[in-house]
Amino acid sequence: MNAVSAADPDAATLGTVLGALETVILGKPDQIRLCLACLLARGHLLIEDVPGVGKTTLAHALAHVLGLAWQRVQFTSDLLPADIIGVSIFDRASQRFNFRQGPIFTQLLLADEVNRASPRTQSALLEAMEERQVSADGTTYPLPEPFFVVATQNPHEQLGTYALPESQLDRFLMRVTLGYPDAAHERELLRGGERRELLSRMAPALSAAAVLRVQRAARAVHVADALLDYTQALIARTRERSDLKIGLSPRAGQGLLRAAQAWAYLAGRPAVLPEDVQAVLPAVVAHRLERRDPTGGGDGEALAREIIRAVPVPP
Amino acid sequence: MAAAPAPPADRAALRPLAWACAAFAGGVLLNCDRVPAWTAATALLLIAWRLTTERAGARLPGTVARALLALAVVAGVLWRFHTLNGLAAGTALLMLMSALKLLETRARRDQLVMVGAGLFLLLSACLDRQSLARVPLYALQAWLCCSALAVVASAGFGARAALRLAGRALLLALPLAVALFLFFPRLAGAFWAIQRAGEAQTGLSDTMSPGSIVKLVADYDPAFRVQFAARAPPAEELYWRGPVLHDFDGRTWRRTSGVFHLRQRLQYLGTPYRYRVALEPTRQRWWFALDTPAQSPDTNVLLTYDNQLLGAEPLTEPVSFDVLSYTRTRALEPLGAFGRQQDTTLPPGANPRSLELAQTLRQRAGSDADFVQATLDYLRTGGFVYTLTPQALGADAVDDFLFDTRAGFCGHYASAFVTLMRAASVPARVVTGYLGGEWNPIGGYFVVRQSDAHAWAEVWLQGRGWTRIDPTAVVAPERLRRGVFDLLPDALATRVRLLRGSAWLTGLLQRWDAANAWWSDHVVKFDYSAQLDLLGRFGIRSPDVRYLGWAFVLALLGWLALIAWHVGRSARPAPPDALARAYTRLCHKLGRIGPPRAPHQGPLSFAATVTTHRPDLKDSVYALATGLQRPSAGRRTSRSSGGRLHGWRCPAPSGG
Repeated sequence: MNAVSAADPDAATLGTVLGALETVILGKPDQIRLCLACLLARGHLLIEDVPGVGKTTLAHALAHVLGLAWQRVQFTSDLLPADIIGVSIFDRASQRFNFRQGPIFTQLLLADEVNRASPRTQSALLEAMEERQVSADGTTYPLPEPFFVVATQNPHEQLGTYALPESQLDRFLMRVTLGYPDAAHERELLRGGERRELLSRMAPALSAAAVLRVQRAARAVHVADALLDYTQALIARTRERSDLKIGLSPRAGQGLLRAAQAWAYLAGRPAVLPEDVQAVLPAVVAHRLERRDPTGGGDGEALAREIIRAVPVPP
Repeated sequence: MAAAPAPPADRAALRPLAWACAAFAGGVLLNCDRVPAWTAATALLLIAWRLTTERAGARLPGTVARALLALAVVAGVLWRFHTLNGLAAGTALLMLMSALKLLETRARRDQLVMVGAGLFLLLSACLDRQSLARVPLYALQAWLCCSALAVVASAGFGARAALRLAGRALLLALPLAVALFLFFPRLAGAFWAIQRAGEAQTGLSDTMSPGSIVKLVADYDPAFRVQFAARAPPAEELYWRGPVLHDFDGRTWRRTSGVFHLRQRLQYLGTPYRYRVALEPTRQRWWFALDTPAQSPDTNVLLTYDNQLLGAEPLTEPVSFDVLSYTRTRALEPLGAFGRQQDTTLPPGANPRSLELAQTLRQRAGSDADFVQATLDYLRTGGFVYTLTPQALGADAVDDFLFDTRAGFCGHYASAFVTLMRAASVPARVVTGYLGGEWNPIGGYFVVRQSDAHAWAEVWLQGRGWTRIDPTAVVAPERLRRGVFDLLPDALATRVRLLRGSAWLTGLLQRWDAANAWWSDHVVKFDYSAQLDLLGRFGIRSPDVRYLGWAFVLALLGWLALIAWHVGRSARPAPPDALARAYTRLCHKLGRIGPPRAPHQGPLSFAATVTTHRPDLKDSVYALATGLQRPSAGRRTSRSSGGRLHGWRCPAPSGG
């Protein structure tokens, strides 16, 4: 499962990337792999967990190992759109407005505690995520390539937060939950030093250009008609179920397939298998599905597992 | 109160209304020759007006105006038909009221009503006319209405898409329609026999006055078709008996009403002719048969004392019947006193010169038979001319004809001949009917047209009984041989001569007539007994309506099941290819090792499951699962890998 195709030098490097990330975030190989797949699929990532489990470290590690320029914005309730996008400042010397780019003009933006910002600021960010460009004062500025947003939010904090609505959540390709480390890894954490120091000693394994190449390669992983049938059946299942508020959007379907391609690429497979779809499905759909009855059954990931069990894989 | 003005519509918004109007207009046009001209014209005008209004975005009339218009329409129909009942009045009313509905057609629901009106008008036309020529028109109208339904239901339909969808739907429904037609229980009662009062009747009537037959001569429509079981009689024997007329008022011959005699016993001579007549609806009571039918073909039909077939009801539907006829008979009983009196009576004081001529001729002749011969000789040698455009006759019509004009057609000759016979106290009567018929080699039948209408005479001769005499034959023998058309005046004959001008056209017409005959015989006249016949051919012999009902229900269910199967099949994925089948078989084999593959398991996770039960197989199973990248993945795997899957055998567990 860990094999990454040796024929592709970039793909071989991805093995290194995974290994490096696993030394920083201990005991979470699946989540790390999901995060990497998300970025390879050109998707934005939402990391949802309680404080202190390594969300920011993970984002930092991703940016560092992939060799991308990154910025971090700590979202607060008084954060304004201009604080992210940038402002036009009047330059006396030239008698004109100059646009000063905000922190969003980077390759990897870490939006910490995104649910603490006001809806206005959230939507400015999310719009940039979708369009991959920023409009200010009537001028459109393209964002750098590649461009990722890794947002984190604390699900348990209620006071003074603005939960992301469904339409905004839909723009994140995956939502990953880290969770507490198991006992062995926790001990190792306690014994070891600060994990971020490890990062500074690590050399970037990839570059921005390499990331773009890898993204293209992942996009080229073969998808058979039968697998499209299976994917469609999964999506249709979410729309048929009467206990769900809404089914998966077409954008979610596209994302699911892209994520499965990236997952297959990471596994070194030339074509997508149903297992690839199943592997990424919980992360892709869990934050998009909601039961009508909030007390009925488990969370989104449990729902995703129910859906996987309900849809037969075509032979 | 005025209705709110509609906003000006663009072309796209106009489309559903235009289609609904087209469907309705089609229904109007199908019926336009069955209703007064002003009815159809009003409907078409309202359609045009409504479309213009919609385009201009003008106001529709208010409630009061509409109510007044509706009242006016009802009054108009009442004024014209004196009733709102019946097919014609009902059709006219439906047409006008639906057209008024256009004045308040705003929503989609109203447009659906208009399409429904188009379908109703189609139904009404179907009830009245079922000829083969109209079938394409009916089909087109059904297609138009269904397409309009599609467009009204969803304006996104283009014309082509709507027509295609409706055409497909109609074709899909066709087998169901055939099943319904064949198996839907037909009640023997006259459910469909809608009263068609006040409509013009075609063909012969039960009176004959100068000119009554000549009107028919230009009518090329078939009256009936005859198929002989064996040899057909010679052309000069093809006298088809219709109304036999006894009463004469000096000008018009009539059938005696309210007279009932017992039929005389007859001795039948010569060849018996068995044949089947397919009669077009005449809206009269009599049925036509060759000269002297031996017995009535139907319990509802009376064989009268003067050898006519008289039905109980006017004939509004085509009918077929088998008859046995003779062309020569001999009476075995003398003519009764009442019958002799009835058939020797002449209007008092009329036609004195004719009476005188008859008495002179009778005195010279030795017997009634000689007298008949002498009278025929008189007609042959007296300078008489056969013409279809005779001069008008005066009060003593027979005198004028015999001594002045000496020109006329069958009606004149039959009338004059019978008058002369009666004047000499020889019982005689006028027989109207048809003479001859055109042989259709394609269908193998004779078609007798309205233009073959004829009148001849029958005289009572001692020892022989009623004997057919055709005085026209001695004057114009070519009438018998060639039919009436060569004798037609140009004004009447142009169309017919055109039709009969070329052999190619004649052949075409005969083919068309044969198709019509088939249609009429097998489709229009498909009734309860024909249905039983058909079921009998399938071995169902019980004449029970319930079985028909069940057969119908089964046919319906069968067809619906077929459609469901078809729909289900098109929704099903493509059948598995060789590789998928091999994989399925491999899964079966592996499933015997551990738990079978769960439906949601892909190849890799199933390989993992298998491996937990048989760790020794790990390499080979994973090789198969991952090496193939199948199924559900690329179809890029080769045939050989399919073979590898296929040929895999489960080795025995090692060490155990």
